[in-house]
Amino acid sequence: MSLLDRKLLRDLAALKSQALAVALVMACGLAMMIMTRSLILSLETTRDTYYEHHRFAQVFARLKRAPNAVRDQLAAIPGVATVETGIAMQVTLDLPGLDLPAVGLLNSLPERGEAVLNRVYLRSGRLPLSPSTQYELAAGEAFAEAHGLKPGDPISAVLNGTKQTFRLSGIVLSPEFVFEAPPNSALPDNKTYGVFWMPYKELATAFQLYGAFNNVALTLAPGASEGDVIADADRLLAPYGGRGAYGRANHPSHRRLDDEIRVLTGLSIAFPLVFLSVAAFMTNSVMSRQVALQREQIAMLKACGFSNAQVGMHYFKFSFVIVLVGVGFGAIGGIFLGHQLVGLYHIFFRFPQLDFLLDSRVLVTASVVSSFAAFAGVAGAVRRAVRLPPAEAMRPEAPARYRPALLERLGATRWFSASFRMSLRNIERRPIRSALTCLALALATSILVVPSSFRDGVAYIIDFQWDVVQRQTVTLTLVEPGPARGVADFGHLPGVILAEPFRYVPVELRAGPVTRRLLLQGLPARGTLSRVIDAHPRQLTLPPRGIIISAKLATVLQVRPGDEVVAKVLEGEERELRVPVAGLAEDFTGIAAYMELPALNRLLLEGDRINGAHLTVAAGSWPEFLAAVKTTPRLAGCMIKNSVREGFRQTTAASVSLLQKIYMFFATVVAFGIIYNSARISLSERSRELATLRVLGFSRGEVGAVLVGELVLLTLLALPLGLVLGSFFASGIIRTLNTETVRLPLVLTAANYAFAVSVVAIASALSALFAARKLAAIDLVSALKALD
Amino acid sequence: MFHVRGLARIYGEGTAAVTALAGVDFDLFRSELVVLLGASGSGKSTLLNQLGGLDSPTHGTLLYHGADLARFDEPALTRFRRDAVGFVFQAYNLIPSLTARENVALITEICRAPMAPAEALQLVGLGDRMDHFPAQLSGGEQQRVAIARAIAKRPEVLLCDEPTGALDVRTGITVLEAIERINRELGTLAVIITHNAILADMADRVFTLSDGRIVNERINARRGSVRDLAW
Ligand SMILES: Nc1ncnc2c1ncn2[C@@H]1O[C@H](COP(=O)(O)OP(=O)(O)OP(=O)(O)O)[C@@H](O)[C@H]1O
Ligand SMILES: [Mg+2]
Repeated sequence: MSLLDRKLLRDLAALKSQALAVALVMACGLAMMIMTRSLILSLETTRDTYYEHHRFAQVFARLKRAPNAVRDQLAAIPGVATVETGIAMQVTLDLPGLDLPAVGLLNSLPERGEAVLNRVYLRSGRLPLSPSTQYELAAGEAFAEAHGLKPGDPISAVLNGTKQTFRLSGIVLSPEFVFEAPPNSALPDNKTYGVFWMPYKELATAFQLYGAFNNVALTLAPGASEGDVIADADRLLAPYGGRGAYGRANHPSHRRLDDEIRVLTGLSIAFPLVFLSVAAFMTNSVMSRQVALQREQIAMLKACGFSNAQVGMHYFKFSFVIVLVGVGFGAIGGIFLGHQLVGLYHIFFRFPQLDFLLDSRVLVTASVVSSFAAFAGVAGAVRRAVRLPPAEAMRPEAPARYRPALLERLGATRWFSASFRMSLRNIERRPIRSALTCLALALATSILVVPSSFRDGVAYIIDFQWDVVQRQTVTLTLVEPGPARGVADFGHLPGVILAEPFRYVPVELRAGPVTRRLLLQGLPARGTLSRVIDAHPRQLTLPPRGIIISAKLATVLQVRPGDEVVAKVLEGEERELRVPVAGLAEDFTGIAAYMELPALNRLLLEGDRINGAHLTVAAGSWPEFLAAVKTTPRLAGCMIKNSVREGFRQTTAASVSLLQKIYMFFATVVAFGIIYNSARISLSERSRELATLRVLGFSRGEVGAVLVGELVLLTLLALPLGLVLGSFFASGIIRTLNTETVRLPLVLTAANYAFAVSVVAIASALSALFAARKLAAIDLVSALKALD
Repeated sequence: MFHVRGLARIYGEGTAAVTALAGVDFDLFRSELVVLLGASGSGKSTLLNQLGGLDSPTHGTLLYHGADLARFDEPALTRFRRDAVGFVFQAYNLIPSLTARENVALITEICRAPMAPAEALQLVGLGDRMDHFPAQLSGGEQQRVAIARAIAKRPEVLLCDEPTGALDVRTGITVLEAIERINRELGTLAVIITHNAILADMADRVFTLSDGRIVNERINARRGSVRDLAW
C-alpha cells in the first residue's frame, strides 16, 4: 500500500462517522434500487418461465356457444399456432360455514390428455377425475387458502339451477390466474371469488354444452400479427355470440402483473435518484471541507512533486471508499428486504414458486450510479485541490470579512444577544455554504414527506372508494341481463332498505388507435348508492346523452370532455356506438365508464334491462338477507362491500404500508445523516474561531449558543422549503406509480408535515447536542495551534 | 546550475498590480550555500517559489541546466519538483496522519534514487523518533522531519523558506546544522531565506533583497560553521 493510501485510510478513520453517514445514505438509495430491481427480475423471470412451461396463451376469447368443429376453423386462421377450446362458466358456490354467497369460475379440463394451452400446475392432491362415485373439482390456490380448503373437502355449487356437491380433488394454479380477482375488478377478493377446474364432460353436460365450447385460447405463429388474428377470430366467432377476442395486454391477470412491474420500475428509479443525489451532495460537503482543511498538505504534496493527477486521485479515492461501503451495505440491505418482500407478493400473485433472484446487473449499475453520484459530488472539491497553485496554498486562507448582518443593519440589533448576532453574521458571511446547509436540511425534511403520503393516499382511497363512491352494503349480479322489474324483487329481500339497478355492458372503448375493454355501467342519473364522483369531489349527475369516464381512462385514450369515443358492444349483437365524453370521474382502482341507465338501454335498443342492483341492507336483518340470497336463483354474484374493503386493507394497503415503513426508515436514516453531517462540518469550520472565543472569556454555553443558534436558524429556514420540496417529490413519485389498475391520490396531511418537522427537529437537537459536547471537549491549545 | 536574468513577477493587473520581483539577475552553482536576506515583503519567498517551479515568472529568463523553467508546462514542472527540488517550509507542512518515517517515505516513493527514510532521519538526528506522529514532536523536530523529507530524494537544490522562523536559537542551530551537512556531504545547492542576518556568515554568498531587487551581494571567502556563528 502506498503511503498516500495509508494517509487516506487514517484520514478516513478520523472522518469515520461522517463518511459512514454518507455511505449509509448511499446504501439506503442502493438498497431500494437493488431490492426493487431484483423484485422485477424475480417477477419477470418467474412469470416468463411459468408462462412458457404452462403454455400461457396469447389471444383469448369468450363466446356463447360454438360447436367443437369451429375449433379447426380457428386453427386455420393465418398466424394461429395452437388452439385450445373449452368451457368456462360462472356459478354460485355454497361453502359450508361461509354465510355469504361466493362465486366460482368453473373451467373445463380436456377430456383426454393435458391441455395444449394454459396448463394447470398441481400444488397438492390430484386433478379431478370423471366421476366414479362423486363429482370432483380442483380449486385455485388463493380461494382454497382463503377458506382453508384441503383436498377431500366437500364444496357445493349451483350448476345451471341444480345444486351439486363436489369433492375437492386438489389445489392448482394456472398461468391464466396468477392474479385471481373477480372479472373487471382491480382488487382480489379471495373469500367470495374463486377459480375451479373440472373435467369437460361433467361441466359441459351440466350446461347442455357437450360437443361445444365457450372459451378459446390461442397462440400465435412467430411473426404473426396479433391484431389480424384477433380480427379474424372475431369475425369467425361473431355468429356464435363471440364477445371479442383480446391479447395479453387486455388479459386481467397479465395486466395486473405488468402494472406491478411498472410500479416497481418507477420506484426503482425515483427513490434511489433522490437518495443518491442527497449522497452526492453530502460527499461534496464532506470533501470540500476535507480539501479546505488539507490546503497546506495539498500544497506540500505538489511542491514535492506529486502530480495533479496523483493529488486528484487521492481525493477521489475518499469517495471511492465511501461508495464501496455504501454498495456493500446497500447490497446487504437490498437483498434482505427483497427476500422479505418477495413473500408479500404471494398475497397477490400465485406462482408455482416465486423465489428472490438477485439481479446481479443491478449491483454493477448500483456501483456505477453511486460512483457517479459520489464522483459528481467530489469532483468540485478535487478540482479545487488540483487547481490550488502550490505557492498560493502555502499562504493561509484569507481571513473572512465580517460585517453587521442585514437584520442588524436594518436596526433590529437591540433584541439580539451577542451569540445570536454572531450566528446571524456567520450565516450571512458564507451565503453559499449556508444556503447549501439549508438545502441539505430541506432535503432531509422533504424525503420524510414522501413515504407518509403513500400511507395517507391509501387511507384516502379506503374512505373515498367505499364511503363516498360506493355506499351500498352489497351488490347482487344476475347471471344474464334481466327485466328492470327484477329490482323490485331485490327490494323485497329481507332487510333491504334501498335498491338501485345497474346495467353492465362489456364494451371496447376506442379513441384513435387506443382501445380498452371494460364494463360500461348504466346507473340512475343521480344515484345514492353507487355514485360517480369528480375530482372536487362532488357527485356528478349522469347526463341523458354522453358517457362519463375515469380521468385515467381519458388520459389513456387521449380524450377530453366533448370528444367522441366509440364503444363496441361485446355482448349480444355486435354494435358500435359513438358517444361524446360528458365528464370525467375520479377513481383510484381500475378504469370505468358510466352512462345514465335509461340512456344506455335506449342506445342498446333493448328496453329496460338490468344486470343487478346495489342494495342497502339493514344490519339487523343481515343473516336473513344472506340466507335469502343463497337461495335466490339466477344470481351470478354477490359483492359485499365491506369484505372487498377488508380485502384491500389486507392486501394492497398492507403492502403499501410495508413499503411505506421501509422507505420511512430509510428517509429517517438519511435525514439524521444529512443533519449530523451538516453539524459536523459547521463545527469543523468554526472550531478555531469558537476556541478563540473561549480563550477570550466566553463561557461554554455562550459559545455553544453561537453554533446551535446557527443550526436552529438554518433549520427554521429549511423546514418550509423542505415541506414544499417534499410535496413536490411526493407528487412526482406518486405520478410514476399511477397505473390503470391502482392509483394513489396525492394526499398531504398536516400529520405528515408534523412528523417530518419533528424528525428533523429531533435530529437537529441531537446533532446540536453532539456538537455542543464536542465543543466542550475541544482542547483550546491544539484548536488554536492546528487548523483542524 | 541556475542562470537568472531580468526575472520579474507581478501579481494582479492594472492599478492593483503588485511587483514582487522587479528584475533580478544572478547565477547559482552546485554545492553552494546561499542565504537570502531582506525586509518583509521584499520578494524573498516569491524568488524561492520561482526557483522551485512552484510559480512562473511574468518576465525574464530562468534557466536550470540550460532549460527555461518559465517555458515548462505543468507536467514538466511537476517532474522538475519531484526529481530535483527539496522544499523546507516555514510551517513544516507535515501530514499529521503519517508518522515521521511515513512522511519521508511518502516522498521517497515517487522519486528515482532516494535514500532510505530511516537514513534521512538519521542525518537530521531523529533516528529514535521515526515512528512518532507530528503531533508528538516538538516544532524543531517537526522541522527536521521536513528537512529529512526534503533531502531524502537527494535533490540537486534544497530550498528553505525561513526554516528556523518558528524555532528557538538552540533548535534553530540543530536544524541549520542538518541543512549544512546535507549541503556539504551531498553537494546540494542550498538556498535559505532568513530574517536573521547572523546566518549570513554560514553562507558562501548572501543576497539582500529590497522591493523586488537584489540590492547587495556579499561573498564570504571562508564560510563559518553554524556552531561558530555569533549567536
Ligand atoms: N499571490 C499574491 N498576490 C498579490 N501579491 C502578492 C502575492 N504573493 C506575494 N505578494 C506580494 O508580493 C510581495 C513579495 O512577497 P513575498 O512573499 O515574496 O515577500 P517575502 O520577502 O517573502 O516577505 P516575508 O519575509 O514577510 O515572508 C509582497 O508585497 C506581497 O504582498
Ligand atoms: Mg516569505
